[in-house]
Amino acid sequence: MASNRSNPEDFARPIRRIFVGALVVVLLGLFVLWRIDSPRVERFRSALIDLVVPNMDWAFWPVTKAAEMVDSFQSYASLYDQNQELRRELQQMKAWKEAALQLRQQNARLLEFNQVRLDPSLTHVTGVVLVDSGSPFRQSVLLNVGARDGIQDGWAALDGIGLVGRISGVGERTSRVILLTDSNSRIPVIVQPSGQKGLASGDNTPAPPLEFLEKPDLVRPGDQVVTSGDGGVFPAGLLVGQVAQGPDRRLRVRLSADYERLEFLRVLRSHALAPITDPGGLVAPPLREQFGPEPPASLTGSSDG
Amino acid sequence: MADPAGRAHWTYRAIFIGVALALFFFRLLPLGTVPGTWGWLDFTLRTLTGSDAVSQALLQLTTGSPIGSWPGPDLLLCVILAWGLRRPDFLPAGLIAAVVLAEDMLLMRPPGLWTGLVVIATEFLRNRAVLTREFAFAMEWLMVSGVMVALLLAYRLIFAITFLPQPEFGFAAVQTLASILCYPLVVGLSRILFDVYKPATGETDALGRRM
Repeated sequence: MASNRSNPEDFARPIRRIFVGALVVVLLGLFVLWRIDSPRVERFRSALIDLVVPNMDWAFWPVTKAAEMVDSFQSYASLYDQNQELRRELQQMKAWKEAALQLRQQNARLLEFNQVRLDPSLTHVTGVVLVDSGSPFRQSVLLNVGARDGIQDGWAALDGIGLVGRISGVGERTSRVILLTDSNSRIPVIVQPSGQKGLASGDNTPAPPLEFLEKPDLVRPGDQVVTSGDGGVFPAGLLVGQVAQGPDRRLRVRLSADYERLEFLRVLRSHALAPITDPGGLVAPPLREQFGPEPPASLTGSSDG
Repeated sequence: MADPAGRAHWTYRAIFIGVALALFFFRLLPLGTVPGTWGWLDFTLRTLTGSDAVSQALLQLTTGSPIGSWPGPDLLLCVILAWGLRRPDFLPAGLIAAVVLAEDMLLMRPPGLWTGLVVIATEFLRNRAVLTREFAFAMEWLMVSGVMVALLLAYRLIFAITFLPQPEFGFAAVQTLASILCYPLVVGLSRILFDVYKPATGETDALGRRM
């Protein structure tokens, strides 16, 4: 027995070399295989991860929970600052919201000016409100359009949504609009869908009361109020507002036009309706000329008998 | 294994596997899905250590994941090289291959390549274990650094040869640099925590065999 072979590791060493070499070859072969046929190896990899990682869930769980707890503590610590910051942001947001609402309404109004055609025969002149000469007794505004633009007394003025008033007083370059809320304003209206006719008479309140309704029972709050065209001042069918019932149980018109912001008004050129002067002809078949004398009554009687 | 030496070997192999699993675990924790969201750990470390810089350094060290954008050290590689150089009998090539292959699989690296390179590197160091026993630590550190750089270069070379997309060189080099810097730390910790040390010349194991 050779003494230099007494250590068992001496036998193992060459075998070990072969083993390690084979191991490296296998590993590099795996890499080459992955490079050539990546999907297969990746499938194996994902299967392996599927096998391992969910099983480590129990280990991940406490750490994740602890992290969440620390996060919550952090958020408690910063709660006050966060609150203040949110308040500041909320204020800014309110300002933005207000601006957005204003812009939306203005946009809607301008769009209406551009597109709405209530009646093809109606054209309009758009004016800018110069002065809101509201006093407790006179509700009127001044427009920057006047006789130069062909404005005439009595024409209807609308904002984009509903009726605002009528022209009363035309200057060369300005005209005055009596608003529906003015105590001198009387507008013949019709309430839809019941078809009740009445008068929206301004009384210096934001919502003019409805008067002279035939059957007020048929009118309900929320019904639509449009001009009826009676009297020949206004064209029919212009939106005025909605019926509302005040605390004093009077029916009033909540105006659709935005009286808070009257900027642009559209003045409808309503051509004077042709007045009906003559009573009109008799509606009957044209007269036929009769030939010969009338048959005697006795003859007709004998033929009967 | 009934004999005490064998039992010690198996204990250390178990410790090695445990360390590797712990490192995997921190790598895989589902907390770093968004870059820079190590906030909770950062917070904890900051409260524990009371210093920003220390917590950042510790964080980068433990997770190996970028808190800024720099890659952390490859701690598993440090452990393998340190242990493989000190007690090659603790780390058989098969075990190293299995652990690193698992890391390859879990961390979405091309499987096998890094494992093969690491096995070759540990064999290289294993063959020089007796030689390095005479080295001062500085020399050993230099050698290990050389091995790490060689690993990096070989890895990137093979990537380039096989036309695989790879991160920028600077980015990868920073990781290697961090690993090199962490190596003494890993050696010290292994010595303190697990009592892994370089056997002195002529030291024998429990069976009286030379180590």
